[in-house]
Amino acid sequence: MEIKRERWSSRPAFIMAAIGSAVGLGNLWRFPYVAYENGGGAFLIPYFIAMLTAGIPMMILEYGLGHIMQGSAPAAASRVDRRLEWVGWWALLVGTMIVLYYAAVMAWCWVYTWQSLKALVGGIVGSAASVIPWGDSPETVSGFFFGKVLHLSSGPSELGGLSWPVVIGLVLSWLAVFLIIHRGVKRVGRVVLITVPLPIILIIILMIRGMTLPGSIEGLKYYLTPDFSKLKDPSVWLAAYSQIFFSLSLGFGILIAYASYLPKTTDVNNSAFITVLANCGTSFLAGFAVFSTLGYLAGALNVPVSEVVKSGPTLAFVTYPTAISKMPLPALFGVIFFITLLTLGIDSAFSIVEGVVGGIWDKWKINRTKLTAGFCLIGLFVGLIYCTHAGLYWLDIVDHWMNNFGLAAVGLLECIMIGYFAKPSEFRRYVNSVSEIRIGWWWDAMIRYVTPAILLYSLFMGYVQELRVPYEGYDGWALKVGGWHLVIALIIVAVLLSLSRGREVE
Amino acid sequence: MEWSAWVMLVFGAVVLYGGLGICLAIAIKKSRGNKAQTE
Repeated sequence: MEIKRERWSSRPAFIMAAIGSAVGLGNLWRFPYVAYENGGGAFLIPYFIAMLTAGIPMMILEYGLGHIMQGSAPAAASRVDRRLEWVGWWALLVGTMIVLYYAAVMAWCWVYTWQSLKALVGGIVGSAASVIPWGDSPETVSGFFFGKVLHLSSGPSELGGLSWPVVIGLVLSWLAVFLIIHRGVKRVGRVVLITVPLPIILIIILMIRGMTLPGSIEGLKYYLTPDFSKLKDPSVWLAAYSQIFFSLSLGFGILIAYASYLPKTTDVNNSAFITVLANCGTSFLAGFAVFSTLGYLAGALNVPVSEVVKSGPTLAFVTYPTAISKMPLPALFGVIFFITLLTLGIDSAFSIVEGVVGGIWDKWKINRTKLTAGFCLIGLFVGLIYCTHAGLYWLDIVDHWMNNFGLAAVGLLECIMIGYFAKPSEFRRYVNSVSEIRIGWWWDAMIRYVTPAILLYSLFMGYVQELRVPYEGYDGWALKVGGWHLVIALIIVAVLLSLSRGREVE
Repeated sequence: MEWSAWVMLVFGAVVLYGGLGICLAIAIKKSRGNKAQTE
């Protein structure tokens, strides 16, 4: 029996899917804050250097690996060296841990989108539901998010019950992921034609809205005014490399799987350049939407901008909604903002699931629809931990470990795999033979020395930091369960999966 | 805003959107060339 490998309907479909995977919530809620914290406009210098020396080389590595080996991460790693298959499985398992909480964050977005829509429709028909439910002061918005939506408990050990609105949002998130990917990458190629440009258009709308509000220029000053003295600080450079690495969906095995669905003659290098530049361009754009609105909020609250600058979920679910509720037409901008978050998140979420489904399919050839349904159901049930009253704590712990140790370690192993187990010069010759842009010897140097050195340094610094201060002051047992034990358990499972026999179908 | 902030704004925009524009132009040109060759 011969089973043909699926193919993208076109190269633009592949590039859009890859951009969709890379562009996620982090572009909106992490990049602007990291830039502000690390020298404002001056941060662009280390950021662009990191983009050229780590982002683009790693993107070419992942695209090239999938393209040459025509297999998802475990299959591709195994074809480089049979002993390295576990690296591919580890990448997929780390991705799985991430998508479990990513779906929960999307569930929060569903809750806020629903509340904004209710207020918008209420406003149109003139009912009492036209008022945004989270109020318009930082205290009421914070109370709404942590109290009414999350029912946040006092610590990770106090799970409490489930927050039902979040559970419903979680069901919707997994249902959306299932419906998009169960038919394979051809449908993904059609969906991303909407889910990739839509959030970018919405970010532009939010940016225009933000920049036409009083005080917006004050916010942009914080975002763009350069502090060149910061460039002497090694932590700023480390922040730039971390931001590049984590915002490009590298180390999940997604891009290896996506590139494996490309025909053998399709370009690799230029597609990598386009994906990286589009991702970084979206981050830069998002900074204007965020900081112009923060400038307005600071003015409205009569405090300095530095007091309202936040990142992560606090920015998305507390600070930004506070600003929205102070704008004219708050319900409309609430809907726009939370649909932006949903569309930013959905293609990153389904790309991770696609990577895992592709990996399992490559080895065991299980029916794709059943496999996707099974994965989504398991994801839904395991993800319920993030819908408990202690969900936010567990999300924070797992996110910290998977990003700082899991992804960085996978990236390091990928560099070692191509840099030392394969011949980087031959790899480069191959990708150049199919590509519109040729890469030179510098790529070999980046993959063999520069990127691994930076990732190793980042891992080492992270480890030292953990030894010095427990992350966010959480209890030691919680950090072990959601951190070290989980990372080690994933390695053991990855090794077991690599040792198990696959179903041989050619 | 100070002039240095404007300089960084232009620098970021030129590198990111200029770079993206060049890469897209190369891709479009090559794809048109390939299409013409096939026809």
